[in-house]
Amino acid sequence: MRKSKIFKLVSLVLCLSFILAACGQGGTDTKEQPPTNEETGAKETQYKDTITVAMTAQPPTLDASLTQSQVTFGVAGNIFEQLYTMNAEYIPTPELAESVEISEDKLEYVFTLRQGVKFHNGKEMKADDVVTSMNRWLNVNGRAKALLEGANFEKIDDYTVKLKVTRATSDVLIILSTRSLFPTIMPKEVIEAASPEGVKEYIGTGPYKLQEWKQDQYIHLVKFDDYSPVDSEPSGFSGKKEAPTENIYFYFVTDHATRIAGIKTGEYDVAENIPLENYEELSTEEGVTLYSKPSGSLNAFFNTTEGLLADVKIRQAILAAIDANEVMLVSYASPEHFTLDPGYMNINQPQWAVKAGAEYYNQANPEKAKQLLEEAGYNGETVTLLTTKDYQEMYAATIAIQEQLRQVGINAEVSNSDFPTFMETKKDRSKWDIFITSNGYNVIPPQILAVNPDWAGFSAPEVKTYLDAIRGASSDEEAQKQWANLQQFMYEYGSSTALGHYNSSMATTDKVEGFVFFDQPIYWNAKVAQ
Amino acid sequence: MLEYLFKRLLSLIPVLFVVSIAIFLIIHITPGDPASTILGLEASQQEIDELNELMGFNAPIHIQYANWMKNVLKGDLGDSIFMRQPVTQAIIEHFPPTLSLAIIAQIIAIILAIPFGIIAAYKRGSVIDTTLMSVSLLGMAIPGFLLGLFLMLFFSVKLELLPVAGYKPLSMGLWTHLRYLILPSIALGTVQAALITRMTRSSMLDVLYLNYIKTARSKGIKEIKVLLKHALKNAALPILTIIGQSFGSLVTGAVVIESLFNIPGIGQLIMNSIVRRDIAVIQGVVLFVTLVYVIVNLIVDLLYGVFDPRIRLDGK
Repeated sequence: MRKSKIFKLVSLVLCLSFILAACGQGGTDTKEQPPTNEETGAKETQYKDTITVAMTAQPPTLDASLTQSQVTFGVAGNIFEQLYTMNAEYIPTPELAESVEISEDKLEYVFTLRQGVKFHNGKEMKADDVVTSMNRWLNVNGRAKALLEGANFEKIDDYTVKLKVTRATSDVLIILSTRSLFPTIMPKEVIEAASPEGVKEYIGTGPYKLQEWKQDQYIHLVKFDDYSPVDSEPSGFSGKKEAPTENIYFYFVTDHATRIAGIKTGEYDVAENIPLENYEELSTEEGVTLYSKPSGSLNAFFNTTEGLLADVKIRQAILAAIDANEVMLVSYASPEHFTLDPGYMNINQPQWAVKAGAEYYNQANPEKAKQLLEEAGYNGETVTLLTTKDYQEMYAATIAIQEQLRQVGINAEVSNSDFPTFMETKKDRSKWDIFITSNGYNVIPPQILAVNPDWAGFSAPEVKTYLDAIRGASSDEEAQKQWANLQQFMYEYGSSTALGHYNSSMATTDKVEGFVFFDQPIYWNAKVAQ
Repeated sequence: MLEYLFKRLLSLIPVLFVVSIAIFLIIHITPGDPASTILGLEASQQEIDELNELMGFNAPIHIQYANWMKNVLKGDLGDSIFMRQPVTQAIIEHFPPTLSLAIIAQIIAIILAIPFGIIAAYKRGSVIDTTLMSVSLLGMAIPGFLLGLFLMLFFSVKLELLPVAGYKPLSMGLWTHLRYLILPSIALGTVQAALITRMTRSSMLDVLYLNYIKTARSKGIKEIKVLLKHALKNAALPILTIIGQSFGSLVTGAVVIESLFNIPGIGQLIMNSIVRRDIAVIQGVVLFVTLVYVIVNLIVDLLYGVFDPRIRLDGK
């Protein structure tokens, strides 16, 4: 009797768990599931119809105008296009526009649009879509709004639009071509239906369209059959996009070890953001190709407005104490992964790679630091270094600098928290003296955080004067000279310092062809051999 | 029995209420806001403030709580600002992987633990006992993620027998489903097995030397029957409790293992939501997790009566 009771109970529990499991599955049943590698491998074509990418995090949105998130740009770059884009030499190159005519006074830009370009919903792209998209971008993208204040797009005819700017500057086309500002062109209706959090549908003109976004798992893109590519050699973000692979799956794989194990076994064709400590290990691995390139600078920012560091002498003492080589070694493991350079801009971009202020950079001069501290009357006050362990390189650099400051007699304390808390604390300038962040490259100096008063409170009026001079310069040489002056000023003022330039690394299996690691990974011409 | 069930379910209400207030306060005391996460590292303060205002995160905290509670009572846990979907749907989508993982891990744990525990108790003081107890100590000491990494390295990278990470739903076939869950289940199950083994052993030891066991033996009953029928059954309650607790912790999401093996379960959902400061999801998931935990405990309590008829839940 009791046995059967137990039996019934156990059966009931089992049944319940199966029903629960089955119900749960219901939600996913109907949706298309990603094929495993074995399934795709079964076809007898030369190349696989799927490329799988392991990326570090889920993008906050694919509405790229709204965010500064790198993971967004990496995925959205396949779906959306812009009027002009950057080629490999960072020269603005037509993409959805055919050409541009610039008025003599540099206040009007007339773009001729390419004809017959289709959106993923089948509609042809026309001036109305471009004007609505671009005006929204000018309105919602904080940096675009600041750089092109008062600018406005208007329609001339179905295939011509005009941009009016309020100030004559030399960088308008560069700004429009910048991937990190990403002025995406979407259909007018999509923009009009958008809420403050972003558009409700992701419809672009790119070589891939969004098929499915499975939250916290993957984004699935499929080839857009009606895509109309430009007819020129691929270069950087510009040129012909062929989409030889039918599907791209971007899996969100936050754990480094899992991404690395996945690339070794071929579970993923591409693994983004390989931590430098694993670079060595993977470089000896057969069947794996590594890509590495300078992609940003590690910078230390000083609190110029409040507390001890409001005194320029103290800031100069800190600059004297910093041994950038040591900091970079601690943060990036090996000299092959970083470059020492005082510049804030991309060291591969000749226009802006200047060495102004080099005498203040990487001084590693404790004696000078001690002397400056004495002159400033430093008396053992605490210097707080704000950091977060969520970004290993930022944390490691902070600890290294803390030690260097202690060596010269500064009472340096580290305050560590998770990333959102770090960002929140950073806003309150009474709570920190120094923080270090790694910052991806920007295309023009006004975009960098080191000159942005919001970022660390650095608001010397000279900065604006120099920036205006850079933007209003009549020639590239003149602009470069002005930028060098600004960089020199920043070092003399002691507002911040570059610590060095780091490489980003990615890995693919050696079956991947046509893949390019430009400012972001480029997948639209990539294919994977069987 | 029904009255007891009803009382227990009723007592859930204050528990959930207190939990909801606690979690609401904790989230709001924690610095960081959802707008910064959406807008990215380099967004300006003005942009962040504007978006927060639009999303209603600038309202006073008690108003935010009241609004949220009002919707919860209507059965609406709110929408995820990050995932752009209702929280309920996010939970429904993230629960199956966790449930599958919990069931498989628990099965592994029980299959290993109960026999080992019985043997260790039966052979008390022997080499077998010492070995089993040392191994179980190791199992408890080794962190799940480390074990997971070792398993991944050996079975996936070296032997290439199982996939490194990921998740495929049951609808893609049982074997496909299981392949992805075997390693994480072992990593999770081992820790639980170690715990249950130790509990089984000590619980068995408590009864093995009692008089009724001696009586049973003296009646000439086979040793295996003595162990399983007479001893194990009487030793079952503490084991059941620990199994219930371990299942409760498994089914509410294994944060580390899920993120290591990239399984989109409840653990990952809550971790991602905390990083994103996706407040509605954090609140919804915590409520859900509390509910599940309490229900699992309730089921365990009900099972007590089955194993030990002396325990009457209706108090009569």
